[in-house]
Parts: sequence; structure tokens; C-alpha cells
Amino acid sequence: MTDLLLSQIKPGGESPFGTDEYVVNMGPQHPATHGVLRLVVKLDGETVKETMPVLGYLHRSIEKICENRTYPQCITYTDRVDYVSAMSVNLAFALATERLMGLEAPPRAQWLRMIFVELQRLASHLLWMGAFAGDIGALTPFLYGLRERERILDLFEMTCGQRLTYNYIRIGGVMIDILPEFVPKCRAFLDYFDPKIPEYEELLTYNPIFLERTKGVGVITPEVGINCGVCGPSLRGSGVSCDVRKQHPYLFYDQVKFNECLENDGDCWARYKVRMNEMRESVSIIRQCLDRLEPGPIETKLPPILKAPPASEIYFRIESSRGEMGIYLVGDGTPKPYKAKFRCASFSNTFVLDQLTRGWKVADIMAVLGSLDMIVPEVDR
Amino acid sequence: MTNDELKSKIESDFKDKIQSAVLSAQNEVIVAVKPEAYVALCQELKEKPGYDFQHLSCLTAVDYPKESKITVVCHLWSYRKCHQLTLKLDVDRVNPKAPTLERVWKSTNWFEREVFDLYGVVFEGHSDLRRIMMPEDYTKYPLRKDFTDDGFIIKPN
Amino acid sequence: MISGEKLVQLVSSLLQQVYALLDLSAYAGILDRVVCAVVMFGFVAVFVMFLVWMERKVSAHMQSRIGPNRVGPLGLLQTLADAIKLTTKEDVRPAKRDKIPYFIAPILAFVATFMGMVVVPFDNKMVVADLNIGVLYIIAITSFTVIAILSAGWSSNNKYSLLGGFRSAAQIVSYEVPLVLSLVPVIMITGKLNFSGIVQYQQQAGYWFVFPQFVAFITFIASATAEANRAPFDIPEAESELTGGFHTEYSGVKFAMFFLGEYVAVVVSSAVAATVFLGGWLPPLHFLGFIPGFVWFMLKVLLIIYLIMAFRWTFPRLRVDQLMDFGWKVLIPVTILNILVTGFVVLLFGKGA
Repeated sequence: MTDLLLSQIKPGGESPFGTDEYVVNMGPQHPATHGVLRLVVKLDGETVKETMPVLGYLHRSIEKICENRTYPQCITYTDRVDYVSAMSVNLAFALATERLMGLEAPPRAQWLRMIFVELQRLASHLLWMGAFAGDIGALTPFLYGLRERERILDLFEMTCGQRLTYNYIRIGGVMIDILPEFVPKCRAFLDYFDPKIPEYEELLTYNPIFLERTKGVGVITPEVGINCGVCGPSLRGSGVSCDVRKQHPYLFYDQVKFNECLENDGDCWARYKVRMNEMRESVSIIRQCLDRLEPGPIETKLPPILKAPPASEIYFRIESSRGEMGIYLVGDGTPKPYKAKFRCASFSNTFVLDQLTRGWKVADIMAVLGSLDMIVPEVDR
Repeated sequence: MTNDELKSKIESDFKDKIQSAVLSAQNEVIVAVKPEAYVALCQELKEKPGYDFQHLSCLTAVDYPKESKITVVCHLWSYRKCHQLTLKLDVDRVNPKAPTLERVWKSTNWFEREVFDLYGVVFEGHSDLRRIMMPEDYTKYPLRKDFTDDGFIIKPN
Repeated sequence: MISGEKLVQLVSSLLQQVYALLDLSAYAGILDRVVCAVVMFGFVAVFVMFLVWMERKVSAHMQSRIGPNRVGPLGLLQTLADAIKLTTKEDVRPAKRDKIPYFIAPILAFVATFMGMVVVPFDNKMVVADLNIGVLYIIAITSFTVIAILSAGWSSNNKYSLLGGFRSAAQIVSYEVPLVLSLVPVIMITGKLNFSGIVQYQQQAGYWFVFPQFVAFITFIASATAEANRAPFDIPEAESELTGGFHTEYSGVKFAMFFLGEYVAVVVSSAVAATVFLGGWLPPLHFLGFIPGFVWFMLKVLLIIYLIMAFRWTFPRLRVDQLMDFGWKVLIPVTILNILVTGFVVLLFGKGA
């Protein structure tokens, strides 16, 4: 019987059990792609041969809209660029605009910005942790992440009345001063949150199944990472020092003490670990900011109509929750930006997905995609 | 190295490859590149010690219909030296063509696709030049200043 | 004092009178079985509904949520409401499905697992069919689910379903082996394939098999979890990878059948584990014997089910190749080693060592 079957196998690799590529279309609606990313995956059985991300399902042409709005109006749209971490984009745009026009926000505003951006980083990393664990099949951490994120959102709501799209960090300062009870409440939250991080780590970090799923999976070497434009925590997982807060300090990041979290393995687990450690660092940064917060004005006096100098341009980068966030603004002497470009971390991080998943299993696509912390509105804008 | 030093260093090292190097009011080094030396210059900036621009942070374009040009803008960053550089390459607006930087920085793959999609700049030698944001059968270039389409209305403020 | 045996006697004498009244005494043997089966079906259906509620409450508790609490006391009727919703839903079917397997699959998935329940003794003599090859029967009958899942995956004409179906086929076939092998030591010690017999042996010996056969108990629970397609072995329906796996294209009643089938499979596995390893209807301590046996049995079943539920809400999911590795490279060697050791002990000290 075996001989008969073997005799039918033709030399050209054609066998009676001929195999064929199997193209699976994941998304735009799929529970694991975090929104409307579409992945066209070529499979050989369970093994991935190629992953082709198809973008554009959430393209809202924010850059075009910004060209037709005044600078303060644009801030509203920046919230929508990355709605999981809206403060960071607010901040990036506000800082870029300030640099373009030679403005500077007063110190209290700067400290407040730092507090809110770091709180936002906590919120974003918490949601990421939940979603990542959910991607590899553990549903419980998601709820834990949301439970703590809720308290951060309460702090945001208390200050600016919004829970998702804050529009809080404005050009020249912040929207409104914090309430007197904000500082004690924020401290109470930090004290509550501190012991929670070990709790998550207990649930996940050394869980044998979790290790099995993430250790050695989706390894980004430093060379590939830099060359493919990976940035932020994903690149720091490969041991490349790339934290904009350290390399090119903005706000008062040069005045607070914090460590840049680095891991050397470059796999999903390392990226997970970097983000968990970053949460600890963020807590420490917020504590230092709260200590140094002093009364004072929260915004500078702005001219009635904000105009950029003619033929001016700025490329300003900050470290958002997902990595390097760059804003490129070109001013032409009118109240509207001539060109506004958002360089988003998710966009360049998603590019590397195909390389990381080739030869791995279907389930690893989800693990790798989750560990890169991509969110679709940032990719598509 | 301050930005001023970087500017003079580039001016002396790459005299024949650049058109001009200026320090902008926002303290950024902006280098206008000669089209024929574009890729070679990038390669050198990436690899030459003293520059070390391993990271292409962003690649985009700006449309200047009055001057009939589209400027391709690259922002480079060095993780080791912590300095930033802006490269500019002017291309013709009617028949926009630019060489691809894919062989220098792989990350430009998607950035160039985006510029092709939204500005219509054709990157010669690009491995996979397709539309990335807009539908594949779309014919216009939305981020050009003279873009019009049904339903696209600029309301006066 | 109420006990399972007396309850059965009471019911059967009642039934005898009813038969006599209806002049059907000649068919009493068959009718008894029919009544048993119907009662069993009703019981299992209600119990599974309770389990769905329990799963929600357990997960809610583990995730610091409240869980369902609106429909009925403590939200107990939530599952009933869901069941009504599912049964009244439109039955959406893919146009290019393979009609017959598509139709049969959910029925098979439910019936095959459900049929396992009939040989499990709830109390002394309180069993639908006390087969003397009960262990073999249950292993054989529960394997039918793989056919159901495979045909569901194939006939749906959906790529996710197909992947899920094939994953499931690989998984169930691999985990069937350690499942059987972990029951073998107990069979070797007792020399019986009959569930009531195994429990009676434990009664006489004065200990439960979970103590001498702890390894077998663990491997059994692990492979039973895999057999029931539950996390961390739920790769056939891995939600974040394959949307719904083999049941992606099923809706309404058919989906409910798969859903209930999964829970019935959990009940069957837990019932077998409780019977074989935890002494079935036996009370844990002698003076607790005043509580009827079927109560003890249900408590033990619930304990194991709770364990399986806790797995699901704690662990991430294994990848398909890791799952196979775990089955073939860990569970099977361990169970075989366990059989060897048990064999030696039985040989040296005789039966019941």
C-alpha cells in the first residue's frame, strides 16, 4: 500500500496528498486584531508563511483635517490619533506648536502635563497588559487591568471632565487647574496601585504556560529593530536605549529620577517585562512630580490668533505610551498648519510583524501582535 | 555635538552631495539634498562614524503647488549620538519621482507607500509600491493641496 | 433515613403501580429504562444550566466582578433567559455548507457526551445502566465528539472552522490516550470495569484512589480538560485566534447544542473522576454517613468542576504544537510510568495494595 502511494509521488513535488497554501483573512473584524486591522495570512497547515497587514480601515485623514483647522482646533483631533493614550498626542502636538512659535508653558503646567502623561502611560500599559494576556488566552488579567485603569480615568474625569478624549493639554499650558483634592487622591491611587503590579506579575510573569507562549517568540534583534523602525518599549525589549525622555528630554524629564527599562532578549516576554517595569517607573515619576508641584499660573498668555512664523518647521518627538511619537509641523504665517504629520509608533511597529511571524504558528501572530502594542487608529490616522 | 557643529560638519563632509544646510529658527539642522546623491548620502549618514543616524524616525512629504514641487522630508535620529537631522529632497510636482531608501532603512517601506498613496510620489525601486491607506482603486492624492473630491468641503472658519 | 437505594426502591414501586394501572406491566423492564433516561436527561439539562450560571459567577468572582444578578434570585435564571434567547434566534446558515454533516454535528456533539452520563452511579444502585464494562463504554462514547467537531469544522465551509476542526481532531485523539491510561491503574488494582464496583472496592478498602493514585488523578483531570476543549486546552475554539473555531458558523439552537455539549462533557469527566478517584457516593468520614450518598457525589462533582473552571480563568492558552508536546511527551510517559509502578506494586503485594 505504501509503495503504491509512494509511486504516485511525482518528482516535481506533486504528491497525491498535494498541499496548497491556505489564505486566511483575519479582520477587519476579528477579536484579536484590536480594532480594524486586517491581516492576510498565508498558512501551510498551522505554520505561517506570510502575514500581510492591510491598513486603512480606520483612515480618517486627520492630517488633512489639521491642515484646514487652526492650531488650537487641531488639539481636538489629536485625541483621536491614539484614543487609548490621548494625553500623549495632546502633549506632542502642544509642545511642537509651542516650539514652532517660541512659546513656553509655565512650570506648574509642565509638571501637571508630566503627571497626566505618566498617568496616561499607566492607563495605556494596563489596558495593553490585559489585551496581551487576552490574546494568548488568559482573560482574567484584562479585567484586573481595567479595574485599575478605571481609577486613573476617574482622576482624569475629575480634572477635565473627560474619560477618553481629554483635550486637556493645550497650547501654552493646560485646560484647567487641578482640584485641591486631586493630589491626595492621586497619591492614594499610587499607594493602592504599587502592590498591584507584583500581583499581576504573580499571575502572569512566571506562569509556565505564559512563558512557553512568549519566551523566544517573535524575537526582534537590535539590528532588525532599528532598521525596521521599531521604537518605544518594543525596541527597549531588545536592549536598545531609545527612550526619548532620556535621549532628548522635554518637559522636566531631566529633573526627575527614573530608569530606562531595558531587556535583552527581544522576545514577547521581554517586551512584556519592559512595560511592567515602565509602570513602576511611571509611578515613581508621578510621585516626584506631585512632590515638586508648586502653585502658579497654568498657562501662558497667548496672542489672540496663533500664527506660526512663515516658512518655519519643527519635528518634535516625545515618548508616548507606545513609543516614539513625532509631530512634524510646517508653518506658513497663517493660523493653520501648512502641513501636519503624525509619526506614530504603532505604524512603524506593525511593519515588522511579517518578519517576526514567518515560520511560526497562527497563535503566535496574536502573541507578537499583542506584544507590539499596536492600536489601529494610530496606524491609520 | 551641537546642532551648529553638526551643520558645519555636514557642510564640509558632503559638499558635493548637498545643496544647502541651514540651522532653522527652531534649532534644527535642515539639509537640502541633491537628487542624484540622495541615496548615497543617506547611506553615508547611516554608517559613517560621527553621524550614526541608524534610525529613520519619519519620512513624509510637503506639497508646494506654487513652486510646483513636492518636498520629501526625512527625519533622522541617532540613538548613540542623540542628534537629529532633517533631509529634504525636492521632486517635480507634475511627474514626482524619487529614489527609494528601502535599501538603507527598511522602515521606509511603509512610509514611502504612505507618501505614494497620499502625495503620488513614485519611489523608484520600491519593492511593494501600493496604496496603503486609501482603497486600491482610488485615483487621487488626498494630501495634495489642490485635492478635490465629492464630499470634501473646506468650511470657512 | 433517606438514601439513594431507598429512593430508587420507592420510585420503582411507584412506577410498578402506575404500570399495573395502565396495564403495561409486561413492558416494565423497558419502561423503567425509558423513565430513567428521561429523568436523567432532565436532570443533566438543569444541572448544565446551573453550571453555566456557576461558571459566570466563578469567573466574575475571580475577576472581581459581580456576575449575573438580574434575572431571578442571584441571577440563577440568567441561563434560562439565554436559552430562550438562543432558541428563538434565527438559525443563520452558510449558503455553501455541506448540509447533512452541518445538521448532524451539533446533535452528535450533544448526544455523544450526554450518553456518557448513563453509566455513572449517583448512589448505591442509583444508576441508569450499571454496565459491567462502564469504563470502556464511557471512553468509547465520549470519543464521538471528535467526529462531531470535525464534521462541524468541515461542513461550515469556513477557514476558521476548518482549522478549529483539525486542531480539535488532533487534540482529542492525542488526549484520549492519557485519559484511558490514567484509568488503567485503578482498573488494575480493582480488577473491575464497572463504576459501582470501583466505588464498592474503595468502600471495602477504606481509602479513595486519589491517595495512592494521585498522579493518575492529575493526569486524568488534565486530559479531561483537554477532551472537553476547555482552557488552557481550548485551541479548537481559541477565540482570539480563530474567532469561534469549529462553531463559528453556528447560531441559535445549534450553537446552544455545542455549548451545552461542552458543559456536559465537563460533567461527565468530573463524574468519572469523582467516582473513580474520589469514592463516588461515599462520605469522606464515617460519621457523615447520615447525609445521603448522591449529595456527596454531587458535591465531589462540583468540586472538580470548580477546579476545571478555575483553570480556565487563570491560565493562558497553549499553542497547538505545545499542546501536542504536552500530551505526547509529558502526559503519556507519566501515565505509562504510573501503570508500570502500579503493576509492580500489585504484583508484589497482591490486589488492593
